[in-house]
Amino acid sequence: MIPAAFEYFAPKNLDEALRLVERHGDEAKLLAGGHSLLPLMKLRLSAPRYVIDIGRIRALHGVREEDGRLVIGALTTHHDVESSELVRQRCLLLAEAAAEIGDVQVRNRGTVGGSLAHADPAADYPAAMLALEAEIVATSSGGSRAIPAGEFFVDLLTTQLRPDEILTEVRVPVAGRRSGGAYRKLHQPASGFALVGVAARVRLGEGEKIESVAIGMTGVAAHAYRAATAEQALAGKKPGAKLLGEAAGRVTEGVDTLGDMHGSAGYRRAVATVYARRALEAAIARAGGKTA
Amino acid sequence: MGEMNVIGKRMAMTDARAKVTGLGRYADDLSVPGMLYGRILHSPHPHARIRSVDTLAAEALEGVKAVATGRDAPTPYGILPIGHDERVLALDKARYIGDNVAAVAATSPEIAEEALRLIRVDYEPLPAWFDPLESMKAEENWIHEKRAHNIEKEYHHHFGNVDEGFAQADFVLEDRYYCGEVTHAAMEPHSTLAVWEPNERLTVYSSTQVPFYLHRTLSAVCEMPMSRIRVVKPLVGGGFGGKSEIIPLEVAASVLAKKARRPVKITYTREEVFYAHRGRPITIVDLKLGITKEGRITAAQARIVQDGGAYCGYGPVTVLYSGALLNALYDIPNVKFDGFRVLTNKPACGAMRGHGTVNARFAFESMLDQIAARAGLDPVELRRRNLLKAPCTTPNGLRVTSYGLPECIERVAERSGWAEKRGKLGKGRGIGFACSHYVSGAANPIIRSNMPHTTVNIKIDRDAGITVYSGASEIGQGSDTMHVQIVAEVLGVRPERVNLVAADTELTPVDLGSYSSRVTFMAGNACLNAARNMRAQILGPVARQFDCETDDLEMRDETIVSKNGAGVSMSFDDAVALAMVGEGALVAKGTYAPPEQARGGKFKGAGVGPSPSYSYSAQAVEVKVDRETGQVKVERVVAAHDCGRALNPLTVDGQVQGSVYMGMGQAVQEEMVWREGRLMNPSFLEYRLPTTLETPQIESIIVESIDPEGPFGAKEAGEGSLAAAIPAIANAIYDAVGVRITDVPITPERVLAALRAKEEAEKGGAR
Ligand SMILES: Cc1cc2nc3c(=O)[nH]c(=O)nc-3n(C[C@H](O)[C@H](O)[C@H](O)COP(=O)(O)OP(=O)(O)OC[C@H]3O[C@@H](n4cnc5c(N)ncnc54)[C@H](O)[C@@H]3O)c2cc1C
Repeated sequence: MIPAAFEYFAPKNLDEALRLVERHGDEAKLLAGGHSLLPLMKLRLSAPRYVIDIGRIRALHGVREEDGRLVIGALTTHHDVESSELVRQRCLLLAEAAAEIGDVQVRNRGTVGGSLAHADPAADYPAAMLALEAEIVATSSGGSRAIPAGEFFVDLLTTQLRPDEILTEVRVPVAGRRSGGAYRKLHQPASGFALVGVAARVRLGEGEKIESVAIGMTGVAAHAYRAATAEQALAGKKPGAKLLGEAAGRVTEGVDTLGDMHGSAGYRRAVATVYARRALEAAIARAGGKTA
Repeated sequence: MGEMNVIGKRMAMTDARAKVTGLGRYADDLSVPGMLYGRILHSPHPHARIRSVDTLAAEALEGVKAVATGRDAPTPYGILPIGHDERVLALDKARYIGDNVAAVAATSPEIAEEALRLIRVDYEPLPAWFDPLESMKAEENWIHEKRAHNIEKEYHHHFGNVDEGFAQADFVLEDRYYCGEVTHAAMEPHSTLAVWEPNERLTVYSSTQVPFYLHRTLSAVCEMPMSRIRVVKPLVGGGFGGKSEIIPLEVAASVLAKKARRPVKITYTREEVFYAHRGRPITIVDLKLGITKEGRITAAQARIVQDGGAYCGYGPVTVLYSGALLNALYDIPNVKFDGFRVLTNKPACGAMRGHGTVNARFAFESMLDQIAARAGLDPVELRRRNLLKAPCTTPNGLRVTSYGLPECIERVAERSGWAEKRGKLGKGRGIGFACSHYVSGAANPIIRSNMPHTTVNIKIDRDAGITVYSGASEIGQGSDTMHVQIVAEVLGVRPERVNLVAADTELTPVDLGSYSSRVTFMAGNACLNAARNMRAQILGPVARQFDCETDDLEMRDETIVSKNGAGVSMSFDDAVALAMVGEGALVAKGTYAPPEQARGGKFKGAGVGPSPSYSYSAQAVEVKVDRETGQVKVERVVAAHDCGRALNPLTVDGQVQGSVYMGMGQAVQEEMVWREGRLMNPSFLEYRLPTTLETPQIESIIVESIDPEGPFGAKEAGEGSLAAAIPAIANAIYDAVGVRITDVPITPERVLAALRAKEEAEKGGAR
């Protein structure tokens, strides 16, 4: 439980941090809330030579609204997201997802950027960002690029981020009228991580039909994903119990499902269906629609 | 007994303030000048011959002061005299992943850690045994050469005649129950500071429940007389049985300290705590039960296999408890028990809260409900019809002196609304009922002797402060407070006047330790005797001065007064000063040994199970089951516990709630998951301990049967309520959704599978 020796940096601003990642790249780890990195280092599953603590970079903290989007700084804690009035009003799904993470201590330390960069297969934000069609902004000395959430998650603990990049912010489009979103999660009882987490977002259109729908899934596979076949089954249709049941039954279709001591692959598939239906029901209700 | 002033009152524990404010000192909080940090190297193989251990590079590392291997301490030991099969560091073989192979002491934890990496061990891996049912068929590669077929011990008991019993029954049921392995998960990880004193003595501060046994073992392994070793127990942050044996770090720290001639501290990481373990074993219970139409139990037969892990530990005791305590809860005329303690290449199991009884009780109380359903009887009514007629002695020789079970059952039935709720709570909701019992200490000591199990001394000197010296070990259960209450009550003083010195082998007389719920009954009785003795010493001179009998006097409110209110009135301080004339400091002693009649029968294994008295418990649990996911939520628990007399109702409530909480954890979520001898969940991120968030309202009802031999009538309160919680939950799930789960933990996955199987069966039936 003692990490290997490392050199520690605490840059005061983004430029300084970017220079450090440029220089040390592969051999360095950024330290945000530390709630994923430090356990790995203590178990020596990770032994970086350099640890770059970005916690002091003020500019990466906080939530603001800009051009119809919520912009969330990478260092914003789960607690800040969960309790932000702005997030609650503009994007309840995201606040719900944040509120479901771990326990109070974890939410007080863990950050949006750390969670997304770490890409734990059972983390909550990835599902939410997929359903919200958010953009994840990566910055290097050379400049910034916005990566669509749909392209960001590559594999188990693997994202599009390069070693010389820092995840600086996340941009979440604010939904318009007749839209609703919800996050529903079954917890792994020890850690609080998702055994299954489902983020659902719908917009209703003419004739009460589903105009657009996005379903983000976590806990089920090596990385978070969009349940495309389920979305297709719903698009353009009028929501009802039968349709939701059928669509929810397809959320793990074509997916290589994870199984572990907390839930076999079969159990996860069964529960994913139930939670997808519950998330969709809640999202539709929030959009002002009916499912019964 | 007249009105009491301290006993029976809700009193905050004497160490509560220190614990809550963080000022209390646990073993790991201690440090002394020149202290080294110890670490232990563990085997990565489940079963391997050790060809050699090369420590040269580790010894050469700057800052390393001592390195030890099996050769430094070859004396075998174990908690039971019949099970000395452990060495602090393996000599020839490693028998589980995590077995202890070498140890280092260095000037910093980092250097110690680094030194471990420099030790080269040449292992020759051997075939390993993981499944107890397979292991007990082993023809070769036995884990201990002397234990044929990897069977540590087997016992076969038969009282009455079960064949006749089953023949008289109208309903006979057989089933198999499986309980996964669970561990204590005390908040405080084990920690030991061993100090090599300048005068060539050894002082060991350790997080232990059994300072006396540790003292003996250190003497044997360190090859030093007990008189040169001192064991001190600081505050202990929970034991639950996990600190009731000698744990390798305690010996390793001592061996290193002796070798380095420096103080050495070792504190386990959480992962090491999980591998040190000694918890509740995987248990397979094949149970058969017969009842008449009227609901009288005619016979019970159990075959119990326990997966003991790689060393003996308390194993034989664990399996014997599982058989012995099939008795003494209900009146069962015919009982047969076949018990097997099997060795496997996993960490040793041992004592855990409710030692031995919990898994057998889960099977038994589940089956009572199954057979009640078969016979069309209300499960509570079935239990009512099988009560003992106490006082009595059971067929296997257990003497029941007080029996509050009937009252427990009635009060729980009433408070829980059993009659109105069973089968009527609506979709997905149910209520379940179960009972349990436990010993108030073992009537026979682990190491047979005719000495008392505990001795308590009391001293009063010129300050008129009362100092109590007791070897009993406070581990969070309220042992210290109990002593203070008893002395304050008998001597009629405020508790603040009483100071306790406890669990320090240099200062306090021997107490056998905190296990099998023995402390209140045994140390409590010794303390009561010492206090009465002291009382006589104080009252004698007062009576002489006032020319009356000591029987005419009483001690209350810090004064000595006449019982009839006439004449005598003297302050406690004055009375003490009077008693010291010509005597000096007042010293009193009290002891306790269980009476001969309590010590049980004469057959092989008869020594385990007998106790001077038994506690009783009944519980009703309400659950909500999500039929779509199989999730079970425990919503309300009503638990009645017969503890004889509640010396401190506050701590009794706490003990009952804690027991129920632990039972609930085992019932629905906790399990150690093994793969080829490797623990898959050695951390609180993966081991599913419930938190306060999952813990329901637990309403504790105290039943006082006033045991004739307990101190003020008190008996066990800390363990007995655990066992009932598990079957009560299983029975509630059955009431809620109609599925009977016989495997623990009752995970959502198991519930969902059972629900699906039931739906299939019903569809099939409808066709
Ligand atoms: C007990 C416990 C329970 C938990 N339960 C949950 C749960 O239920 N749901 C859930 O989603 N999560 C859970 N977590 C994880 C938690 O949310 C972490 O906080 C989060 O995953 C990582 O955020 P962090 O700020 O702590 O990152 P850190 O641990 O500091 O870093 C994690 C990784 O991301 C990298 N990184 C951090 N910030 C950046 C950045 N700005 N740019 C590029 N790379 C970066 C780091 O280098 C490191 O590799 C739990 C953690 C614990 C300890």
